[in-house]
Amino acid sequence: MAKDWTERNAELTGLLGRTGLGDRAAFATLYRHTSAHLLAVVLRIHRDRAQAEDIVQEIYVNVWRSAGQFDAAQSQPLTWLTSIARNRAIDALRRRQTQPFTQSTLSGELTNDDDDADVYAQVADEGDGPLALLSRASDARSLEHCMQALSAPQRQGIALAFYDGLSHAEVAQHLRQPLGTVKSWLRRALISLKGCLDTAAQSDAMRDAPRGGSAGGL
Amino acid sequence: MDYSRPERADALAGEYVTGTLRGAARRRFEALLPAHPALREAVAAWQRRLMPLSLSIAPVAPSPEVWKRIEARIAGSSRPAQGSGSQASAPRLAFWRGLAAFASVAALGLAALLANPGPALPPVVVVLNATDAATAGALPGTFIASISGDGRAVVTRPLVNVALQADRVLELWALPGSGAPRSLGLISANASTAVKRGQDLKDATALAVSLEPPGGSPTGAPTGPVLYVGKLTL
Repeated sequence: MAKDWTERNAELTGLLGRTGLGDRAAFATLYRHTSAHLLAVVLRIHRDRAQAEDIVQEIYVNVWRSAGQFDAAQSQPLTWLTSIARNRAIDALRRRQTQPFTQSTLSGELTNDDDDADVYAQVADEGDGPLALLSRASDARSLEHCMQALSAPQRQGIALAFYDGLSHAEVAQHLRQPLGTVKSWLRRALISLKGCLDTAAQSDAMRDAPRGGSAGGL
Repeated sequence: MDYSRPERADALAGEYVTGTLRGAARRRFEALLPAHPALREAVAAWQRRLMPLSLSIAPVAPSPEVWKRIEARIAGSSRPAQGSGSQASAPRLAFWRGLAAFASVAALGLAALLANPGPALPPVVVVLNATDAATAGALPGTFIASISGDGRAVVTRPLVNVALQADRVLELWALPGSGAPRSLGLISANASTAVKRGQDLKDATALAVSLEPPGGSPTGAPTGPVLYVGKLTL
């Protein structure tokens, strides 16, 4: 997936730089290399293919116009592009949410059961759902043990929010937990992730091992 | 909100990148970014931390039409170059002038409803009855789809819960008078779902629900049996 990460980054950085100068061929190549990834990100949040493609179109028009603002010293190209994509996708959700009918994405009847099993009941049906994605994302170094350090509902909440674009209220409904509980789960989860990932980044910088094949240590 | 406290600013940046900072708070936060380097720095750090998560999503190539529309859009921009491929998509240009256009595009979908625009339009209710396939598959039931008066939102609700196998989902489709069905998204078998795809209701004459693998139809067209169908009469 990210085998020649550095090389790929350098290539994308170059393409973005030339796009910023108005080079259409570079922009076309950038699109070929990155559009499938960005569409996938948007499709998690907007399941409708036609709508997701419309959003991708907006994203690249925006990239064309703002590529000159990309600062390779500040961020990696794919991170930059993915952030633009996610912001667009989330903004489009916001528009949907200001419409009259949109109390929530899934407004199921809330049961009184606070069974733990209940928390996962809906999730179990999701196949390629957010949790499955999280476990694949865990291949990315350091995320694995940092994600493992979270409680199961915290992981679930982060996954639903990040991958599927659910709001606090929607995550709460999905997990059938009170809103306040979910908010504090997610806040604590972010604090814990930050601490863990930052520490990992520091120790990664000092260690040479390209991938942590054995999970023996942490 | 007090953005000057570093921990608070950092927490907000984390919520912004995670996507849970929404609505007015999200807009306020974005408005502050240009003038606050520390805030931008916090956002960049959160992006570095969390964006690797998105690498686990399997890529999905956009249809060729998307690139044609992008080319057409940038052909009109101030940058030097000649626009190719703008012909095919030119009529759509005015349509796609930004995401803000979504709302009006959606409104065009149900022209008949909009003959009388106004906030007080009642929702249109479509009853989707079980097909033979549903009855044969022991999934009897009825879905109610209400389309908001302005045509922008569709809410589906099962009258009785439908017991699906764990590895199956329900997908809602708009069936145009002619042409291929358009997906309106996945709907819940036991709760109401708001699908806000007004623009896809354009020329729809019926709504249908099909049984699909997790994540919905992989092909963009219904792949499983159609379980529920209802006519859309305006």
